[in-house]
Amino acid sequence: MKEQKITRLVIVGGGTAGWLTAGIIAAEHFVDSKTKPNEHSFELTLIESPDIATIGVGEGTWPSMRSTLQKMGISETDFIRECDASFKQGTLFKGWKTGQDDTYTHPFTLPHAYAETNLAPQWQSFRDNVAFAEAVSSQNTLMFKRLAPKQISTPEFAFNVNYGYHLDAGKFAEFLRRHCVEKLGVKHVRANVTGVISAENGDIASVITDACGDVQADLFIDCSGSRALLLGEHYGVAISSKTDILFNDTALAAQVPYTKESGAIESSTLSTAQTAGWIWDIGLPSRRGIGHVYSSSHNSEERATEELLCYIASTVSQQAAEAATIRRLDFMPGHRTKFWHKNCVAIGMSAGFIEPLEASALVLVELSAAMIADQLPANRHIMDIVAKRFNEKFLYRWDRIIDFLKLHYVLSERRDTAYWRDNCDLSTIPKSLSERLEIWRHQCPWHRDAVHVDEMFPSASFQYVLYGMGFVTQQSPLGSRTDREAANIGMQLFQENADKTQRLVGMLPSNRELIDKISTYGFQKI
Amino acid sequence: MSNSVILNNAIHKDLKVITKTGEAYGSNVMHAMTFPTEFRDVQSCYPIFFCKDPATGQLYPTALFGFEKDQNLFLNGDSWEASYIPMMIKRHPFLIGFQADPEKGEGAKKPIISIDMDNPRISQTEGEALFTDSGEPSEYLKQSMARLEAIHRGHEHNKLFIETLLKNELLQSFTLEITLNNGSNNKLSGFYTIDEEKLHKLGAEALASLHSQGFLQAIYMTVASFARIRPMIDKQNAILA
Repeated sequence: MKEQKITRLVIVGGGTAGWLTAGIIAAEHFVDSKTKPNEHSFELTLIESPDIATIGVGEGTWPSMRSTLQKMGISETDFIRECDASFKQGTLFKGWKTGQDDTYTHPFTLPHAYAETNLAPQWQSFRDNVAFAEAVSSQNTLMFKRLAPKQISTPEFAFNVNYGYHLDAGKFAEFLRRHCVEKLGVKHVRANVTGVISAENGDIASVITDACGDVQADLFIDCSGSRALLLGEHYGVAISSKTDILFNDTALAAQVPYTKESGAIESSTLSTAQTAGWIWDIGLPSRRGIGHVYSSSHNSEERATEELLCYIASTVSQQAAEAATIRRLDFMPGHRTKFWHKNCVAIGMSAGFIEPLEASALVLVELSAAMIADQLPANRHIMDIVAKRFNEKFLYRWDRIIDFLKLHYVLSERRDTAYWRDNCDLSTIPKSLSERLEIWRHQCPWHRDAVHVDEMFPSASFQYVLYGMGFVTQQSPLGSRTDREAANIGMQLFQENADKTQRLVGMLPSNRELIDKISTYGFQKI
Repeated sequence: MSNSVILNNAIHKDLKVITKTGEAYGSNVMHAMTFPTEFRDVQSCYPIFFCKDPATGQLYPTALFGFEKDQNLFLNGDSWEASYIPMMIKRHPFLIGFQADPEKGEGAKKPIISIDMDNPRISQTEGEALFTDSGEPSEYLKQSMARLEAIHRGHEHNKLFIETLLKNELLQSFTLEITLNNGSNNKLSGFYTIDEEKLHKLGAEALASLHSQGFLQAIYMTVASFARIRPMIDKQNAILA
């Protein structure tokens, strides 16, 4: 029997998820919009509804976005200029531990000498003198000083310290669309999908559109947002709710101008804990995106709005708070019970959404699209095996995201509201997380904590959050041979890190200065 | 900070410029910007590399005089021992200023000759006069003005040259590693050079285009200038011996 070859791909939905997916697949495969698909090229069509506005979540990316863009052949200068993008070096948390003036950072750069030496055990004896992230990473200081991760003479996508981006999601989708259509051979169809025609085996044979007739394909990628037109509405794949673990289900979002044109641009996503959620504050070159994500069962919209306006008034201005237009977004924290069913795979909000903490939305799109690009099934028979692998991998990843996000809450000492008390209730903590916490009471996180080679969160991320939140690891006073060796070079490594920090502070421009220079001169490719 | 003023034959009538070289006159520089128009002369004395202006990140060709900051291996006391000194060195204390040019419309600017009054070359007693007794520019000033004109055109030319090199992916970053006779290893980084492998693989069309722009010769002179590194290492060894 001749197996049906996979040569025609259709993406339904044109937000950042749809266009990122299109770009990632087209950057890996030969896609041609001019000819019929054949042995040498694929046909990749993106169907975008002219009537549905993109939701525009995910204004923060991970450092992975650099290589994603680079692989697509995008110029970083164009990207920064056209997507109103700035540099993100990590997250700066405020008030998560006690609700008072406590702060800590989760920088993108791994602790100094992390490949060979675990400095976390060495740091335990100095925990009262210096913050963990400050002791082990230069980036912590750069984040507080709002410095850039590189200089204007650094080639595009290269860096002095690791970075991702903050960006305008609407502009980003538009920018990707142009690049995909003009440079990567992606076919763009503006139409509403109104129905599905099934094949005998239960596959989707084609989607029915209002403006362009039936569109056939071998693989359908559902990027239609939380509606999940294909995987959800057509196939009825259920959502596995996570409200029992992570309570946030409502977001109030505002866009706030700087008080003056040259206002400093933050180098971190600011995350400030509230009575029943937290406020994000993302600095783009032209504006700040500020929003409050909270649990509707623990807080009223009125009270949540008040907290948001209070934040805007105190960090921007009273005037800005009065002028702010607030948009409400409701979501059910959770993900589909599977993501790839038959010849349909969901990416983006259609696959699931938890909450914006740690900006896992866009990186999941990148990882999903990259896996599809990398393991694009040769024929229909292979597809079921690839689908199985894909589902296993991403169910594992969602579980790890949930664990990591929950970690931020369970370590809090706050007991001032039911929200924080409930978050620390043992019954709301996944076993996989509580078990790890038990181990970490006696042993610092380290490479051994990675189960897979491609874990989303390296053990370093757990270190930053645990020790940033004041978690105590009590190691055996005896210590292993490795620990003693590390203790011998520990002081030297802390000193190296301090020296490096000082050097970087002396040479790096502010985020704003670098953005201004990029708009005038741009980065060089070399 | 330089204290530059527009040159004026009344105010600056008696001004003289010392044309000597030496540390006192700022000749102890490691490298200086150069332009394809002077590559033929520069490559006979100095290696030509490319580097970035730290303030803008923009690349430009530069003639190398030393291996570390403030080192000029061609400077022997007050004598700059080379058959050619690049224009950007010889231009001092003059520089190009810009003045509004209402004839060309609002916002338009025209280049004019300025002089840095804080430059140690400025003198009332010693050196070359700028103006004749009748207030006309002296031969020396005429030469200096011609040089500034050439530098002004050179900047524009460099922009196009760099753009063309980048478009053809002919530049690569490199680290010059030098082992001196005393056994010390020295690394010079932050410079860029012609990627010869890419150059050899260029197709006929690309080569013809480079040639018609006059850049092909500049590229090969840059490559040839590499041979000037050896004599510089010899000088360095001689100093350390």
